[in-house]
Amino acid sequence: MLRVMGVCKDYKTERGEFRRVLSDINFELARGEKIALLGKNGAGKSTLIRLLGGVEFPSEGRIELNMTMSWPVGFGGAVLPMLTGNDNIRFIARIYSKPLGEVRDFVEDFAQLGHYLSEPVRTYSTGMRARLNFALSLAIDFDCYLIDEVLAVGDQRFQQRSHEELFEKRAGRSMILSSHIAETIKSYCTRALVLHRGRGKVFDDVDLALDIYNAV
Amino acid sequence: MRLPFLRFLDIQRRVIGALLIREIHLRFGRRGIGFLWLPVEPLMFGIPVLLLWSIVRPKYDHGLSMMDLTVTGYLPILLFRHVSGTMIGFIRGSTEVLYHRQVTLFDIFVARTLLEFLGNMMALVLTFTFFYGLGEINFPANFPLFCLGYFYMLWWAMAVGLIVGSLAERSVLIEKIWPVYSYTYMFFSGFFFLADWLPPKIREVALYQPSFQSYEMIRGGMFGNTIKTYGDPAYTTFVLAILLTIGLWALRDARMHVEVES
Repeated sequence: MLRVMGVCKDYKTERGEFRRVLSDINFELARGEKIALLGKNGAGKSTLIRLLGGVEFPSEGRIELNMTMSWPVGFGGAVLPMLTGNDNIRFIARIYSKPLGEVRDFVEDFAQLGHYLSEPVRTYSTGMRARLNFALSLAIDFDCYLIDEVLAVGDQRFQQRSHEELFEKRAGRSMILSSHIAETIKSYCTRALVLHRGRGKVFDDVDLALDIYNAV
Repeated sequence: MRLPFLRFLDIQRRVIGALLIREIHLRFGRRGIGFLWLPVEPLMFGIPVLLLWSIVRPKYDHGLSMMDLTVTGYLPILLFRHVSGTMIGFIRGSTEVLYHRQVTLFDIFVARTLLEFLGNMMALVLTFTFFYGLGEINFPANFPLFCLGYFYMLWWAMAVGLIVGSLAERSVLIEKIWPVYSYTYMFFSGFFFLADWLPPKIREVALYQPSFQSYEMIRGGMFGNTIKTYGDPAYTTFVLAILLTIGLWALRDARMHVEVES
Protein backbone atom coordinates (compact mmCIF):
# COMPACT_ATOMS: atom_id res chain seq x y z
CA MET A 1 0.00 0.00 0.00
CA LEU A 2 1.18 3.48 -0.88
CA ARG A 3 -0.45 6.47 0.75
CA VAL A 4 0.32 10.02 -0.32
CA MET A 5 -1.12 12.53 2.12
CA GLY A 6 -1.17 16.28 1.58
CA VAL A 7 2.21 16.33 -0.13
CA CYS A 8 3.69 19.70 -1.07
CA LYS A 9 7.09 20.55 -2.46
CA ASP A 10 8.79 23.94 -2.49
CA TYR A 11 12.02 24.82 -4.20
CA LYS A 12 14.14 27.83 -3.52
CA THR A 13 14.55 30.01 -6.59
CA GLU A 14 17.72 31.84 -7.56
CA ARG A 15 16.25 34.99 -6.03
CA GLY A 16 15.88 33.26 -2.69
CA GLU A 17 12.09 32.96 -2.77
CA PHE A 18 10.21 29.73 -2.39
CA ARG A 19 8.20 28.43 -5.28
CA ARG A 20 5.54 25.76 -4.71
CA VAL A 21 5.91 23.08 -7.36
CA LEU A 22 3.49 20.56 -5.86
CA SER A 23 0.54 21.48 -3.75
CA ASP A 24 -1.59 19.17 -1.60
CA ILE A 25 -1.29 15.91 -3.54
CA ASN A 26 -3.37 13.02 -2.19
CA PHE A 27 -3.81 9.49 -3.47
CA GLU A 28 -3.57 5.85 -2.51
CA LEU A 29 -2.32 2.85 -4.38
CA ALA A 30 -3.15 -0.68 -3.30
CA ARG A 31 -1.02 -3.71 -4.05
CA GLY A 32 -1.46 -4.78 -7.66
CA GLU A 33 -3.09 -1.54 -8.72
CA LYS A 34 -1.77 0.46 -11.65
CA ILE A 35 -2.14 4.20 -11.79
CA ALA A 36 -1.18 6.57 -14.60
CA LEU A 37 0.54 9.88 -13.99
CA LEU A 38 -0.49 12.51 -16.50
CA GLY A 39 0.81 16.05 -16.75
CA LYS A 40 2.23 18.45 -19.26
CA ASN A 41 5.75 19.84 -18.96
CA GLY A 42 6.08 21.84 -15.78
CA ALA A 43 3.01 20.31 -14.16
CA GLY A 44 5.13 18.78 -11.39
CA LYS A 45 5.30 15.24 -12.73
CA SER A 46 9.06 14.78 -12.43
CA THR A 47 9.02 16.27 -8.94
CA LEU A 48 6.30 13.89 -7.80
CA ILE A 49 8.26 10.98 -9.26
CA ARG A 50 11.36 12.02 -7.31
CA LEU A 51 9.35 12.24 -4.09
CA LEU A 52 7.70 8.86 -4.68
CA GLY A 53 11.07 7.32 -5.47
CA GLY A 54 12.41 8.59 -2.14
CA VAL A 55 15.19 10.63 -3.78
CA GLU A 56 13.83 13.90 -2.45
CA PHE A 57 11.54 14.61 0.48
CA PRO A 58 8.25 16.52 0.61
CA SER A 59 8.27 20.00 2.16
CA GLU A 60 4.90 19.23 3.74
CA GLY A 61 2.75 16.14 4.02
CA ARG A 62 3.70 12.49 4.17
CA ILE A 63 4.28 9.49 1.97
CA GLU A 64 3.63 6.12 3.61
CA LEU A 65 4.87 3.01 1.95
CA ASN A 66 4.71 -0.58 3.05
CA MET A 67 5.79 -2.38 -0.07
CA THR A 68 9.07 -2.21 -1.93
CA MET A 69 9.09 0.55 -4.53
CA SER A 70 11.56 0.78 -7.38
CA TRP A 71 13.70 3.79 -8.01
CA PRO A 72 12.27 6.03 -10.76
CA VAL A 73 12.97 3.92 -13.83
CA GLY A 74 13.73 6.51 -16.48
CA PHE A 75 16.45 7.94 -18.65
CA GLY A 76 18.65 9.38 -15.93
CA GLY A 77 19.55 8.70 -12.32
CA ALA A 78 19.97 5.36 -10.55
CA VAL A 79 22.78 4.14 -12.81
CA LEU A 80 26.20 5.57 -12.07
CA PRO A 81 27.56 7.23 -15.22
CA MET A 82 31.25 7.01 -14.36
CA LEU A 83 31.16 3.28 -13.77
CA THR A 84 30.91 0.59 -16.43
CA GLY A 85 27.69 -1.34 -17.05
CA ASN A 86 29.19 -4.37 -15.32
CA ASP A 87 30.25 -2.31 -12.31
CA ASN A 88 26.72 -0.95 -12.11
CA ILE A 89 25.37 -4.49 -12.13
CA ARG A 90 27.74 -5.39 -9.31
CA PHE A 91 26.88 -2.24 -7.35
CA ILE A 92 23.13 -2.79 -7.58
CA ALA A 93 23.35 -6.52 -6.82
CA ARG A 94 25.38 -5.73 -3.71
CA ILE A 95 23.22 -2.99 -2.27
CA TYR A 96 19.98 -4.90 -2.92
CA SER A 97 21.45 -8.16 -1.58
CA LYS A 98 20.79 -10.12 -4.79
CA PRO A 99 22.99 -12.91 -6.16
CA LEU A 100 25.33 -11.29 -8.69
CA GLY A 101 25.03 -14.16 -11.19
CA GLU A 102 21.26 -13.85 -11.43
CA VAL A 103 21.28 -10.09 -11.87
CA ARG A 104 24.05 -10.25 -14.46
CA ASP A 105 22.39 -13.01 -16.49
CA PHE A 106 19.11 -11.16 -16.53
CA VAL A 107 20.59 -7.79 -17.48
CA GLU A 108 22.83 -9.28 -20.18
CA ASP A 109 19.89 -11.05 -21.70
CA PHE A 110 17.33 -8.28 -21.33
CA ALA A 111 19.23 -5.05 -22.02
CA GLN A 112 21.07 -6.44 -25.08
CA LEU A 113 24.06 -4.18 -24.52
CA GLY A 114 26.67 -6.78 -25.48
CA HIS A 115 30.26 -5.62 -25.11
CA TYR A 116 29.09 -2.14 -24.06
CA LEU A 117 28.60 -3.54 -20.57
CA SER A 118 32.32 -3.24 -20.04
CA GLU A 119 32.32 0.43 -21.06
CA PRO A 120 31.49 3.39 -18.77
CA VAL A 121 27.79 4.25 -18.78
CA ARG A 122 28.58 7.89 -19.63
CA THR A 123 29.52 6.70 -23.14
CA TYR A 124 26.04 5.18 -23.66
CA SER A 125 23.26 6.78 -25.65
CA THR A 126 20.17 7.79 -23.66
CA GLY A 127 18.32 4.77 -25.02
CA MET A 128 21.07 2.39 -23.91
CA ARG A 129 21.13 3.98 -20.46
CA ALA A 130 17.38 3.59 -20.15
CA ARG A 131 17.63 -0.07 -21.19
CA LEU A 132 20.25 -0.74 -18.53
CA ASN A 133 18.22 1.13 -15.92
CA PHE A 134 15.07 -0.77 -16.84
CA ALA A 135 16.84 -4.14 -16.89
CA LEU A 136 18.38 -3.54 -13.45
CA SER A 137 15.04 -2.62 -11.92
CA LEU A 138 13.44 -5.77 -13.30
CA ALA A 139 16.33 -7.89 -12.02
CA ILE A 140 15.78 -6.59 -8.49
CA ASP A 141 12.05 -7.34 -8.57
CA PHE A 142 10.00 -4.73 -6.70
CA ASP A 143 6.41 -4.80 -5.44
CA CYS A 144 5.75 -1.48 -7.12
CA TYR A 145 7.35 -0.03 -10.23
CA LEU A 146 7.77 3.66 -10.83
CA ILE A 147 8.07 3.99 -14.58
CA ASP A 148 9.07 7.32 -16.07
CA GLU A 149 8.53 7.36 -19.86
CA VAL A 150 10.92 4.48 -20.30
CA LEU A 151 8.47 2.12 -22.02
CA ALA A 152 8.99 3.75 -25.39
CA VAL A 153 12.71 2.95 -25.68
CA GLY A 154 14.35 0.28 -27.76
CA ASP A 155 13.31 -1.52 -30.88
CA GLN A 156 10.18 -3.58 -31.42
CA ARG A 157 11.75 -6.72 -29.96
CA PHE A 158 12.83 -4.90 -26.81
CA GLN A 159 9.39 -3.39 -26.40
CA GLN A 160 7.84 -6.83 -26.78
CA ARG A 161 10.09 -8.17 -24.02
CA SER A 162 9.43 -5.19 -21.75
CA HIS A 163 5.75 -5.81 -22.13
CA GLU A 164 6.17 -9.49 -21.22
CA GLU A 165 8.34 -8.84 -18.21
CA LEU A 166 6.37 -5.97 -16.79
CA PHE A 167 2.75 -6.70 -17.60
CA GLU A 168 2.61 -10.47 -18.02
CA LYS A 169 5.19 -11.96 -15.65
CA ARG A 170 4.64 -9.20 -13.08
CA ALA A 171 0.92 -8.70 -13.64
CA GLY A 172 0.22 -8.65 -9.90
CA ARG A 173 2.60 -5.79 -9.12
CA SER A 174 1.63 -2.22 -8.50
CA MET A 175 2.70 0.41 -10.93
CA ILE A 176 2.91 4.15 -11.25
CA LEU A 177 3.19 4.81 -14.92
CA SER A 178 4.15 8.10 -16.44
CA SER A 179 3.75 7.95 -20.19
CA HIS A 180 2.63 10.21 -22.98
CA ILE A 181 1.33 7.29 -25.00
CA ALA A 182 -2.43 7.09 -24.49
CA GLU A 183 -2.62 3.50 -25.73
CA THR A 184 -0.24 2.23 -23.05
CA ILE A 185 -2.16 4.00 -20.32
CA LYS A 186 -5.55 2.83 -21.51
CA SER A 187 -4.49 -0.79 -21.71
CA TYR A 188 -2.87 -1.08 -18.28
CA CYS A 189 -4.04 1.56 -15.85
CA THR A 190 -7.31 1.55 -13.96
CA ARG A 191 -6.94 5.05 -12.55
CA ALA A 192 -5.07 8.21 -13.41
CA LEU A 193 -3.65 11.14 -11.49
CA VAL A 194 -3.78 14.28 -13.59
CA LEU A 195 -1.36 17.01 -12.57
CA HIS A 196 -1.82 20.60 -13.59
CA ARG A 197 0.26 23.47 -12.25
CA GLY A 198 1.26 21.52 -9.18
CA ARG A 199 -2.23 20.41 -8.24
CA GLY A 200 -3.48 16.89 -8.70
CA LYS A 201 -6.76 15.06 -9.12
CA VAL A 202 -7.38 11.32 -9.29
CA PHE A 203 -9.81 9.95 -11.89
CA ASP A 204 -11.28 6.46 -11.80
CA ASP A 205 -12.13 6.79 -15.47
CA VAL A 206 -8.89 6.74 -17.46
CA ASP A 207 -10.53 7.88 -20.71
CA LEU A 208 -11.95 10.92 -18.98
CA ALA A 209 -8.56 11.64 -17.41
CA LEU A 210 -6.90 11.50 -20.82
CA ASP A 211 -9.51 13.86 -22.27
CA ILE A 212 -8.94 16.35 -19.49
CA TYR A 213 -5.17 16.00 -19.79
CA ASN A 214 -5.43 16.73 -23.50
CA ALA A 215 -7.78 19.65 -22.95
CA VAL A 216 -5.70 21.62 -20.41
CA MET B 1 14.02 -15.17 10.89
CA ARG B 2 16.67 -12.63 11.68
CA LEU B 3 16.15 -9.59 13.81
CA PRO B 4 15.27 -6.46 11.82
CA PHE B 5 18.18 -4.58 13.37
CA LEU B 6 20.70 -7.22 12.29
CA ARG B 7 19.21 -7.13 8.81
CA PHE B 8 19.56 -3.36 8.79
CA LEU B 9 23.21 -3.65 9.82
CA ASP B 10 23.84 -6.23 7.11
CA ILE B 11 22.33 -3.94 4.46
CA GLN B 12 24.37 -0.94 5.65
CA ARG B 13 27.52 -3.06 5.60
CA ARG B 14 26.84 -4.08 2.01
CA VAL B 15 25.98 -0.53 0.99
CA ILE B 16 29.16 0.90 2.52
CA GLY B 17 31.21 -1.85 0.88
CA ALA B 18 29.67 -1.11 -2.52
CA LEU B 19 30.17 2.63 -2.07
CA LEU B 20 33.79 2.06 -1.12
CA ILE B 21 34.38 0.13 -4.34
CA ARG B 22 32.57 2.84 -6.32
CA GLU B 23 34.72 5.52 -4.71
CA ILE B 24 37.91 3.63 -5.56
CA HIS B 25 36.79 3.15 -9.17
CA LEU B 26 35.90 6.83 -9.47
CA ARG B 27 39.17 8.08 -8.09
CA PHE B 28 41.71 5.63 -9.35
CA GLY B 29 40.06 4.00 -12.34
CA ARG B 30 39.88 0.28 -12.88
CA ARG B 31 43.33 -0.34 -14.28
CA GLY B 32 46.76 -0.29 -12.68
CA ILE B 33 47.44 -0.35 -8.97
CA GLY B 34 44.00 1.01 -8.00
CA PHE B 35 43.59 1.81 -4.34
CA LEU B 36 47.35 1.45 -3.75
CA TRP B 37 47.44 5.04 -5.06
CA LEU B 38 45.87 6.07 -1.76
CA PRO B 39 49.07 6.75 0.23
CA VAL B 40 50.95 8.03 -2.81
CA GLU B 41 49.64 11.58 -2.59
CA PRO B 42 50.61 12.15 1.07
CA LEU B 43 53.92 10.41 0.47
CA MET B 44 54.90 12.33 -2.65
CA PHE B 45 54.49 15.56 -0.79
CA GLY B 46 55.60 14.38 2.63
CA ILE B 47 58.81 12.44 2.10
CA PRO B 48 60.66 15.13 0.08
CA VAL B 49 59.65 17.87 2.53
CA LEU B 50 60.66 15.81 5.53
CA LEU B 51 63.93 14.81 3.89
CA LEU B 52 64.70 18.43 3.14
CA TRP B 53 63.92 19.46 6.71
CA SER B 54 66.08 16.70 8.11
CA ILE B 55 68.96 18.31 6.23
CA VAL B 56 68.36 22.05 6.60
CA ARG B 57 66.77 22.34 10.03
CA PRO B 58 68.48 21.93 13.40
CA LYS B 59 68.22 18.41 14.74
CA TYR B 60 66.60 19.49 17.99
CA ASP B 61 63.81 21.84 18.90
CA HIS B 62 63.28 22.61 22.62
CA GLY B 63 65.45 19.57 23.24
CA LEU B 64 63.20 17.26 21.23
CA SER B 65 64.06 15.50 17.99
CA MET B 66 62.90 17.79 15.16
CA MET B 67 62.06 14.82 12.92
CA ASP B 68 59.96 13.12 15.61
CA LEU B 69 58.04 16.38 16.03
CA THR B 70 57.53 16.95 12.32
CA VAL B 71 56.40 13.44 11.43
CA THR B 72 53.92 13.40 14.32
CA GLY B 73 52.71 16.85 13.21
CA TYR B 74 52.48 16.35 9.49
CA LEU B 75 50.53 13.09 9.19
CA PRO B 76 47.71 14.00 11.61
CA ILE B 77 47.13 17.34 9.87
CA LEU B 78 46.92 15.52 6.55
CA LEU B 79 44.35 13.19 8.04
CA PHE B 80 42.34 16.21 9.16
CA ARG B 81 42.56 17.98 5.82
CA HIS B 82 41.72 14.89 3.77
CA VAL B 83 38.85 13.61 5.91
CA SER B 84 37.21 17.01 6.33
CA GLY B 85 37.98 18.11 2.75
CA THR B 86 36.40 15.04 1.19
CA MET B 87 33.05 16.21 2.54
CA ILE B 88 32.99 19.46 0.59
CA GLY B 89 30.53 19.01 -2.27
CA PHE B 90 30.06 15.35 -1.41
CA ILE B 91 26.25 15.52 -1.45
CA ARG B 92 26.05 17.10 -4.88
CA GLY B 93 28.53 14.57 -6.18
CA SER B 94 26.53 11.63 -4.91
CA THR B 95 22.94 12.27 -5.95
CA GLU B 96 22.78 9.33 -8.32
CA VAL B 97 23.37 6.82 -5.52
CA LEU B 98 20.58 8.43 -3.48
CA TYR B 99 18.13 7.00 -6.03
CA HIS B 100 18.51 3.81 -4.01
CA ARG B 101 16.55 4.10 -0.80
CA GLN B 102 18.89 2.08 1.36
CA VAL B 103 21.82 4.37 0.58
CA THR B 104 22.06 7.16 3.14
CA LEU B 105 24.31 10.19 3.19
CA PHE B 106 25.79 8.68 6.33
CA ASP B 107 26.87 5.61 4.34
CA ILE B 108 28.61 7.80 1.77
CA PHE B 109 30.27 9.74 4.58
CA VAL B 110 31.50 6.53 6.23
CA ALA B 111 32.81 5.13 2.95
CA ARG B 112 34.74 8.30 2.13
CA THR B 113 36.13 8.65 5.64
CA LEU B 114 37.25 5.02 5.65
CA LEU B 115 39.04 5.50 2.37
CA GLU B 116 40.87 8.63 3.53
CA PHE B 117 41.71 7.03 6.85
CA LEU B 118 43.06 3.95 5.10
CA GLY B 119 45.25 6.11 2.86
CA ASN B 120 46.58 8.01 5.84
CA MET B 121 47.33 4.83 7.77
CA MET B 122 49.24 3.44 4.82
CA ALA B 123 51.19 6.70 4.55
CA LEU B 124 51.85 6.63 8.30
CA VAL B 125 53.24 3.11 8.22
CA LEU B 126 55.35 3.80 5.13
CA THR B 127 56.72 7.10 6.47
CA PHE B 128 57.61 5.59 9.81
CA THR B 129 59.24 2.60 8.16
CA PHE B 130 61.21 4.82 5.77
CA PHE B 131 62.59 7.27 8.35
CA TYR B 132 63.02 4.63 11.02
CA GLY B 133 65.07 2.69 8.51
CA LEU B 134 67.20 5.80 7.92
CA GLY B 135 67.61 6.16 11.68
CA GLU B 136 65.95 9.59 11.58
CA ILE B 137 63.03 8.92 13.93
CA ASN B 138 62.14 6.87 16.98
CA PHE B 139 59.26 4.51 17.61
CA PRO B 140 56.49 5.99 19.85
CA ALA B 141 57.39 5.50 23.52
CA ASN B 142 53.74 5.14 24.57
CA PHE B 143 52.04 3.56 21.59
CA PRO B 144 48.47 3.34 23.03
CA LEU B 145 48.48 7.06 23.86
CA PHE B 146 49.79 7.82 20.38
CA CYS B 147 46.86 5.85 18.88
CA LEU B 148 44.36 7.57 21.16
CA GLY B 149 45.57 10.99 20.02
CA TYR B 150 45.32 9.88 16.39
CA PHE B 151 41.82 8.57 17.01
CA TYR B 152 40.73 11.97 18.38
CA MET B 153 42.17 13.67 15.30
CA LEU B 154 40.04 11.40 13.11
CA TRP B 155 36.97 12.10 15.22
CA TRP B 156 37.59 15.87 15.06
CA ALA B 157 38.02 15.70 11.28
CA MET B 158 34.78 13.73 10.91
CA ALA B 159 32.80 16.18 13.03
CA VAL B 160 34.19 19.23 11.22
CA GLY B 161 33.73 17.53 7.84
CA LEU B 162 30.07 16.80 8.55
CA ILE B 163 29.32 20.33 9.68
CA VAL B 164 31.26 22.12 6.95
CA GLY B 165 30.16 19.64 4.26
CA SER B 166 26.49 20.11 5.15
CA LEU B 167 26.82 23.89 5.27
CA ALA B 168 28.69 23.96 1.97
CA GLU B 169 25.61 22.46 0.31
CA ARG B 170 23.77 25.63 1.22
CA SER B 171 26.47 28.20 0.66
CA VAL B 172 29.00 28.48 -2.12
CA LEU B 173 30.97 30.89 0.06
CA ILE B 174 31.83 28.16 2.57
CA GLU B 175 32.78 25.84 -0.24
CA LYS B 176 35.27 28.41 -1.58
CA ILE B 177 36.63 29.58 1.76
CA TRP B 178 37.16 26.18 3.30
CA PRO B 179 40.27 25.04 1.36
CA VAL B 180 42.01 28.32 2.24
CA TYR B 181 40.96 28.08 5.85
CA SER B 182 41.92 24.44 6.21
CA TYR B 183 45.42 25.43 5.07
CA THR B 184 45.88 28.36 7.46
CA TYR B 185 44.29 26.26 10.17
CA MET B 186 47.52 24.26 10.18
CA PHE B 187 49.15 27.03 12.23
CA PHE B 188 46.48 26.88 14.93
CA SER B 189 46.10 23.13 14.96
CA GLY B 190 48.98 22.31 17.28
CA PHE B 191 51.25 21.03 14.50
CA PHE B 192 54.11 23.35 15.42
CA PHE B 193 53.78 23.72 19.18
CA LEU B 194 53.58 21.76 22.36
CA ALA B 195 51.30 23.24 25.01
CA ASP B 196 54.26 23.26 27.37
CA TRP B 197 56.09 25.80 25.17
CA LEU B 198 53.25 28.32 25.32
CA PRO B 199 52.77 31.00 28.00
CA PRO B 200 50.19 29.72 30.55
CA LYS B 201 47.49 32.20 29.48
CA ILE B 202 47.68 31.23 25.80
CA ARG B 203 48.03 27.57 26.67
CA GLU B 204 44.75 27.65 28.52
CA VAL B 205 42.93 29.02 25.48
CA ALA B 206 44.72 26.74 23.00
CA LEU B 207 43.72 23.65 24.96
CA TYR B 208 40.04 24.31 24.26
CA GLN B 209 40.79 23.36 20.70
CA PRO B 210 40.20 19.62 20.09
CA SER B 211 43.06 19.18 17.63
CA PHE B 212 45.45 20.75 20.12
CA GLN B 213 44.32 18.13 22.61
CA SER B 214 44.82 15.41 20.05
CA TYR B 215 48.35 16.65 19.27
CA GLU B 216 49.19 16.72 22.97
CA MET B 217 48.29 13.02 23.20
CA ILE B 218 50.09 12.11 19.98
CA ARG B 219 53.24 13.89 21.20
CA GLY B 220 52.85 12.41 24.68
CA GLY B 221 52.67 9.02 22.98
CA MET B 222 55.70 9.75 20.84
CA PHE B 223 58.04 11.11 23.52
CA GLY B 224 56.67 9.35 26.60
CA ASN B 225 57.54 10.68 30.01
CA THR B 226 60.43 12.84 28.77
CA ILE B 227 57.99 15.73 28.12
CA LYS B 228 55.08 17.31 29.93
CA THR B 229 51.79 17.16 27.99
CA TYR B 230 48.33 18.45 28.76
CA GLY B 231 46.00 16.09 26.85
CA ASP B 232 42.62 15.58 28.52
CA PRO B 233 40.68 12.63 27.02
CA ALA B 234 37.54 13.34 29.09
CA TYR B 235 37.26 16.92 27.85
CA THR B 236 38.08 15.96 24.25
CA THR B 237 35.52 13.13 24.22
CA PHE B 238 32.88 15.48 25.59
CA VAL B 239 33.47 18.25 23.05
CA LEU B 240 33.80 15.90 20.10
CA ALA B 241 30.63 14.04 21.04
CA ILE B 242 28.73 17.32 20.93
CA LEU B 243 30.32 18.38 17.64
CA LEU B 244 29.61 15.00 16.03
CA THR B 245 25.98 15.21 17.13
CA ILE B 246 25.68 18.66 15.56
CA GLY B 247 27.34 17.29 12.42
CA LEU B 248 24.94 14.37 12.13
CA TRP B 249 22.01 16.67 12.65
CA ALA B 250 23.33 19.01 9.93
CA LEU B 251 23.71 16.03 7.60
CA ARG B 252 20.14 14.93 8.23
CA ASP B 253 18.94 18.44 7.53
CA ALA B 254 20.96 18.56 4.31
CA ARG B 255 19.39 15.26 3.20
CA MET B 256 15.90 16.72 3.55
CA HIS B 257 16.91 19.48 1.14
CA VAL B 258 18.74 17.45 -1.46
CA GLU B 259 17.74 18.34 -5.01
CA VAL B 260 18.70 15.94 -7.77
CA GLU B 261 18.88 16.52 -11.47
CA SER B 262 16.63 14.60 -13.76
